[in-house]
Amino acid sequence: MSKKSRSKIWFLVHSWLALPIWFFVLIVCVTGTLAVVSQEIVWLANPQMRASPPADDAPRLNYDQIVAAIKQAEPDIIVDSISRPDEAHFALDVRVNYPDGRELTVYVNPYTGAIQGPAPPFNFQAFTRALHGWWLVPFTNGYSWGWYLVSFLSLPMLASLVTGLVVYKRFWKGFFRPTLRIRQGARIFWGDFHRLSGIWSIWFIAVISVTSTWFLIEAFMFDNQISISTAPVAAVVPRESVPLTTDGSPTPMISLEAAIREAKARIPGLDESFVSMPANAYSYLSVGGRSWYPLMFQTADINPYTGEVAATRLLSDRSSLEFVTESMRPLHTGDFGGIWIKLIWCFFGLLLSMMVLSGLLIWTKRTALATANALKRRNKRPRDEAATANSAGTTEISQ
Amino acid sequence: MSQVPTQASRSTLSRFWHKWRFHINVLLLLVPLGFMPKYFADAALFRGDTGLGEREIGEVQVGPWSLRLAELRNEAPRPDGPAGYMKNFNAALCDSCREQVKATYLRIGKPRSLRAAGVIFFGTPYRMGAMLPVPAKTKADAELWITMEGWDGSMHQASIPLSQASPATLAWLSTQGGKP
Repeated sequence: MSKKSRSKIWFLVHSWLALPIWFFVLIVCVTGTLAVVSQEIVWLANPQMRASPPADDAPRLNYDQIVAAIKQAEPDIIVDSISRPDEAHFALDVRVNYPDGRELTVYVNPYTGAIQGPAPPFNFQAFTRALHGWWLVPFTNGYSWGWYLVSFLSLPMLASLVTGLVVYKRFWKGFFRPTLRIRQGARIFWGDFHRLSGIWSIWFIAVISVTSTWFLIEAFMFDNQISISTAPVAAVVPRESVPLTTDGSPTPMISLEAAIREAKARIPGLDESFVSMPANAYSYLSVGGRSWYPLMFQTADINPYTGEVAATRLLSDRSSLEFVTESMRPLHTGDFGGIWIKLIWCFFGLLLSMMVLSGLLIWTKRTALATANALKRRNKRPRDEAATANSAGTTEISQ
Repeated sequence: MSQVPTQASRSTLSRFWHKWRFHINVLLLLVPLGFMPKYFADAALFRGDTGLGEREIGEVQVGPWSLRLAELRNEAPRPDGPAGYMKNFNAALCDSCREQVKATYLRIGKPRSLRAAGVIFFGTPYRMGAMLPVPAKTKADAELWITMEGWDGSMHQASIPLSQASPATLAWLSTQGGKP
């Protein structure tokens, strides 16, 4: 096979990977981009989510003080968990239960303990993630088919990256001589745009497609009861260690600060970012957060009556395979190092969305041209439309 | 002669197909649009905006205490991998017993001891949930047993017919061939 026809085939493959499903791919890219910064969007839209200090030097309250402040404001509330978002400008997310049975997240000021308001009923973060992650298809028995539908896109995306680099001869030259011709018509512009954003996004497309391939594998393994987890099965607080009370009132629990101290003593360098209350009388209090490795959490389960650390899940407990697989999600979402990493992910997410669009535009313009050519020769060779389109494409990429 | 109109219509169709073949995937958007009402109904259900569950069973007296029981979903048990079929129940403790009850358990059939009281409820006294395994061989006249344990060590039990707790489960059991 000649070199030219081989590159023609690669080019055809590259076009066909996304073309028939371009709109689906586009919406998945756009919703993914939105999901990356969804927390920030809610922060912008909703002042209740902001952590404004009452004075410049106001100290942050500790977890016990937060719970006390909530109890004082609304004595009937039961606190389920407190989580401190990565960035200091976010209010604390506190999961609470109301006597009427509602279970919601409320935003609590970390300096005053004031309940600034409940998270709105329309959860923008959850919605964009659900739309992006599983196309809103409900999970009824194992993973939803929407999850498979979306994560399956990782394969054509990976293939697009590879074929794109094969088709774009000597693509590395594009790094040194960036070309973006603005004044030579739309087709030239979109072609340049597609190539230029493509080479600068190589790392990003690789990260996104590899991590989403893992999501596909993960669902497949779960649905086929294949497990690689080394995490122990969740244990319960032994019956003997929960003392009975003579007056029938609940056994007192240790303070949250005491629990955090225990956790920190066991996990060096722990930057605790959440505390979960025991889910019933026989479950543990959990404290967790990141330490030196930004992609994974370490947690400690603490007996709420004695303060004894009953179980830990440390970085060193993970197998090397789990080190890779558990890093996949933060790498995919860009949620591991604060606002700047999220903004980088968001920018390249937008670029990726534009690549879907520019790819489509290139095809449309080329087809318009090819159709015009084909119409001229219609009587002679009416079925030559596709071939014309391809040769036009080859000319276009070799420009 | 008869071939002329056929050919003409085919070429209209094929032209239409050629023009729109790469835009048909826009229709995939109907999937999330169709599931959107379900998504928001589920979100409201899990927030507790629409009550304790899809179907309230009512107040059940358990010794000196009582609890309000509900089916999270008004439907048959769902398969949960190798664990078999599971049915989710939600409950809320009575106002006066909130501070006294240490744990609440659910089981199909009468438990022999507190150690075998069944699955434990997770959550707060305002809203807690338990995932009850329902074997496909369960008999139609089975009873759902509720065991409650106090912080002082006391224990109380009560039962309601499974048919009352979950008619949808009973209907499902009758299709499982495990008839008595």
